[in-house]
Amino acid sequence: MNGIRRREIARRIFAYEFNRSTYRIKPEEDKAPVYVLTPLGMRCNRVFVVGALLDKDEIKPDSGIWRIRVADPTGAFFGYVGRFQPDALESLMEIEPPELVAIVAKVRVFERDGRLFVSLRPESISVVDSETRDYWIYETALKTLERIRRMELKKDEDCKLAWQIYSPNLNEFRQIVRQALASLKEEFELIEEFEEEIEELKERRDMEERELEKIKEKDELEEFEEEFEFEEEEWDLSDILGE
Amino acid sequence: MKEERIKQLTDQIVELFRRSGYDVDAKEISKRLMLLIYEFKVPESEAIRTVKNWLIKELEIPKEKLAIESPLVKIADITKPGQWISLKAKVVQLWDSSSPNVSQVGLIGDETGIIKFVIWAKSGKGEVEEGKSYLFRNVVTDSFQGRMQINVNRNSEIVEIDEDIQLPPREIEVVGALVAIQQNSGLIQRCKLCRRAMTKGICPIHGKVEGYDDLRIKGVLDDGENFYEIILNEENIKALTGIDLEKAKQIATERLDRNAVLSELKSKLLGRYLKVRGTKGGRYLIVNDVEFLKGIDKAEVERLMEEVAA
Ligand SMILES: [Zn+2]
Repeated sequence: MNGIRRREIARRIFAYEFNRSTYRIKPEEDKAPVYVLTPLGMRCNRVFVVGALLDKDEIKPDSGIWRIRVADPTGAFFGYVGRFQPDALESLMEIEPPELVAIVAKVRVFERDGRLFVSLRPESISVVDSETRDYWIYETALKTLERIRRMELKKDEDCKLAWQIYSPNLNEFRQIVRQALASLKEEFELIEEFEEEIEELKERRDMEERELEKIKEKDELEEFEEEFEFEEEEWDLSDILGE
Repeated sequence: MKEERIKQLTDQIVELFRRSGYDVDAKEISKRLMLLIYEFKVPESEAIRTVKNWLIKELEIPKEKLAIESPLVKIADITKPGQWISLKAKVVQLWDSSSPNVSQVGLIGDETGIIKFVIWAKSGKGEVEEGKSYLFRNVVTDSFQGRMQINVNRNSEIVEIDEDIQLPPREIEVVGALVAIQQNSGLIQRCKLCRRAMTKGICPIHGKVEGYDDLRIKGVLDDGENFYEIILNEENIKALTGIDLEKAKQIATERLDRNAVLSELKSKLLGRYLKVRGTKGGRYLIVNDVEFLKGIDKAEVERLMEEVAA
């Protein structure tokens, strides 16, 4: 199978759950994908997020690395876009926040002093309408509830691991889902914990940026996932011919 | 022309018997095929069968010794690589192949499923057309990147049949986000000779030849649990974006850049939820019908809220 892996699914997850994901699943082999385990027992390598792009800032003048902040009804995602994500960068340059965006992103993981921080490494960013955002909230609520149910039943090994690591308060996550759904009913209820959370995120952000600068030239975290090119274009024919 | 075809068929038969350890007289086979096909106007497949049966009798080959006719199977039954099989199937989608070793590649289906097929160039087999049904005789199953496919080689036969093979009965509906659009999408050029997509005016098979414009998107639809590779044709793209081939050409002309079409399509489609009705085959979804997802069901939101409250 020459080491080409299956494409990773883009998971639907609220910022609240995402930002609390502090456990990395150890890859079984080199170059295996990096997964974070969320507090609700989901392995996550790629995400699809729809929310409000609140700001974009170059982390240092002429660094070519842009920090973005994208909010959903439960919190905010941080992400970094650089020249290694040319499609995302090109789109980002044309967007003036605030704007509703859909982002397909890899989960970026930093480790520092034994703690893990997650952020987004966008592959694509596009401006979308509020219908898309609403559907994303609905869909993500649905999937989060499914995860809560699986956690209750300790459905699989990942759920058991999540219990062991996070022992999450499931009611807290139910509350988050309710909050997200409520935003669909009444246009944007302001969320209280929001500001508080941003403070906490700022700390991490500074940490991440220091790490990012080290990377600069080469994205060490780049992984080797199957290109989604339909594979007929890239066959090595010699080894299947075998006649 | 006639002679060439007869030679092809003869070679196939000789090869089949050679595989089982029998040397047969090519000249005699050609003579009989010629007589049956062009004198008596017997269909090719019948003529071949007749000649094979004659050889079996003539050489007194025990039936079990010569498994010439591979068993006729359904696609759902194909689970192991390296099996010689025959199947009746409809060509549901042809893909581009940039390899000169591949004559055609794409998907075929019957009522039990859909599978990838490859016709190797050196098999010398004629080309199949989308939407037509064929008997694929003596093809070999194979596994590539964990998925089954069938290979058409020199010993295989492809015979067009009059039946309209049905695809899997259940059309499925997938709602997912379009999370990626492949680079070779948008306003593309196809080779006039073989319809393959060309890169910078070059056909992978025919080199620098005349091409014609086409509009298509190869993309990935992701519903958070699975992903599906889809191809949207001009009709689909027009239904979603209002951009048809003419409009696309106009965009390219105005901006002096064919890639402007792809950028335009990306900005209109990437990250959007699509509702696709189609037939599923492995990770592929053959699109019958596509539209943007419209709104959410308020009642469904209410139901979810109650569920959380409980
Ligand atoms: Zn060509």
